[in-house]
Amino acid sequence: MFKSAASVERLANQLARLPGIGRKSASRLTFHILKMSKDEANDIAEAIKEVKEKVGFCTTCYNISESDPCFVCSDNRRNQEIICVVEDSSDAAAMDRAEGFNGMFHVLGGCLSPLDGIGPDDLKIKELMTRLKDDIKEVIIATNPDVEGEATAVYLSKLIKPMSIKVTRIARGLPVGSDLEYADSATLSRALEGRQEF
Amino acid sequence: MFASAFFIYTMHLDSLKLTSFRNFETLQLTPSAGINVLHGKNGSGKSNLLEAIFVLCLGRSQRGNKDGDIIKNEQDSYRVEGTMHDGDRSIEIAVAVMRRGRKQITINGVKSKALELYERFSVVAAGPEDSEILAGPPSVRRLFLNLYISQQSTKYLENITKYSRILSQKNAALKENIEFDSYNYLLAETGAKIIIARQLFLKTLNKSAGSFYSKFSNNGELDIKYKPSALEEIEFEVDESRIKEQFEARLNEVKEQEMILKTSIVGPHRDEIEFDINSFPARTHGSQGEWRSAAIALKLSVYELLKEKRGFSPILLLDEIFAELDESRSAAVIDSFNDLGQLFLTTALEPPARLAQKALYLNIDSGQVEVVR
Ligand SMILES: Nc1ncnc2c1ncn2[C@@H]1O[C@H](COP(=O)(O)OP(=O)(O)O)[C@@H](O)[C@H]1O
Ligand SMILES: [Mg+2]
Ligand SMILES: [Zn+2]
Repeated sequence: MFKSAASVERLANQLARLPGIGRKSASRLTFHILKMSKDEANDIAEAIKEVKEKVGFCTTCYNISESDPCFVCSDNRRNQEIICVVEDSSDAAAMDRAEGFNGMFHVLGGCLSPLDGIGPDDLKIKELMTRLKDDIKEVIIATNPDVEGEATAVYLSKLIKPMSIKVTRIARGLPVGSDLEYADSATLSRALEGRQEF
Repeated sequence: MFASAFFIYTMHLDSLKLTSFRNFETLQLTPSAGINVLHGKNGSGKSNLLEAIFVLCLGRSQRGNKDGDIIKNEQDSYRVEGTMHDGDRSIEIAVAVMRRGRKQITINGVKSKALELYERFSVVAAGPEDSEILAGPPSVRRLFLNLYISQQSTKYLENITKYSRILSQKNAALKENIEFDSYNYLLAETGAKIIIARQLFLKTLNKSAGSFYSKFSNNGELDIKYKPSALEEIEFEVDESRIKEQFEARLNEVKEQEMILKTSIVGPHRDEIEFDINSFPARTHGSQGEWRSAAIALKLSVYELLKEKRGFSPILLLDEIFAELDESRSAAVIDSFNDLGQLFLTTALEPPARLAQKALYLNIDSGQVEVVR
């Protein structure tokens, strides 16, 4: 029986740990990498190493960043009185590309999902509450339009409302079940414009 | 007179292929667009064949069972494939389930959601197990509502799916002692839409099922009452925001109880329907004959309702219906068919003569089907 070399096995195992990559895709990618030139393969390895060395989290908004505070948190031309709350860094990037938003971000690092054992303490919610003690006028909740994102939005609105801060939820211009990350900028701009107060 | 305006050839099943589906190893079938009579001994697989047609139409069984039960014993997967004829188009459908894996639905070779089947097709199944709608546990009645309201409105199907996801999250939160107010808010929001849809459906059903039942039972009376678990009394006029408010208030009332029980005790997942026959609750006072007549009255009403809503005749699956009814009731049932589309009926005996005339006869024996005439 054919048995692959231990190093090949190791690479396939590592790739299979990535989200959305199953056994089959992992071995397809492995063989693709094997066929690459040494330089090409090194570029990938280097890029992974560099990203881990240089990129960390902004300790204000918890977005991924090469500096702390990040370029958004340290840019005082932005509107410091509005915070847009998103699930992940990729969602923050998508919102930032959308026209009509010039405020700050707060990245929760996921959404509430008791089924996966994720409760409020597993997200950057306390950190958000601390930020709200400064002069914040509006919190826009831009979690995904699925059950988990909506539950997170409702949870946050119940926490924030008593602080007399305006809480809005971006409109469901988004197709149901879709991820914010994949929505195009025009759709997001419209969703932002049509945001509604809780 | 009877045969002329009897059929409208709209949506129908052109061909069917089963693989490892219940007692069938492999099976191929080319039914008629009109009436198909499935003949065969007890246990030959007649009911299973009807189930397969239902699965092909909506991607799930009409019975409340798990997909794993459908896979032929000792096999790892089942597959139902077929061609549906819709006007001048042919649509290829395949539903496949692996024992450890997800259900795969394809329409014309493209991976699809079950919702897309509900959007395109419609099917009504009636059989001996329908007495359970009147006499069985509440979950049977809710399954009945969900299967047939979803065929009227895919919005309902979306809401049911969403509601059950919210419910699972809430129950997990209850088990892990996580704050669950936000789930109550969402349950009330989605639940209100479900309650209204059920209320409207049952109101319409009550009228037509009542008149069918009266024909099948020498002027007996059938009355259907919706008992939503979230509300004390559902008003005639339905107002979504009021129902949502009442439901949320009710959820607040039971909050502590739910924390102790660690499960959700109020909402559409606990709804009931009360059937009264001649003013007595059918479940406790009804006879088997009354249950059967009421069940067939319900299913024929649903059939008529769907036909009107969808603008075409659903595929109708009648499992041993006439064996259960005496001659005059059978005649009343046959008389009530109009604009019949494609029909599959099973019988261990001869079918009623009036239906037999135009039918394609199929004989089932040891997992094989043979066209008889
Ligand atoms: N998953 C399965 N695998 C194999 N056989 C099955 C399975 N499920 C049911 N059966 C068999 O199918 C037969 C019942 O078929 P059914 O359609 O109810 O018969 P009929 O309606 O003609 O009386 C039974 O013999 C039962 O053992
Ligand atoms: Mg049977
Ligand atoms: Zn920052």
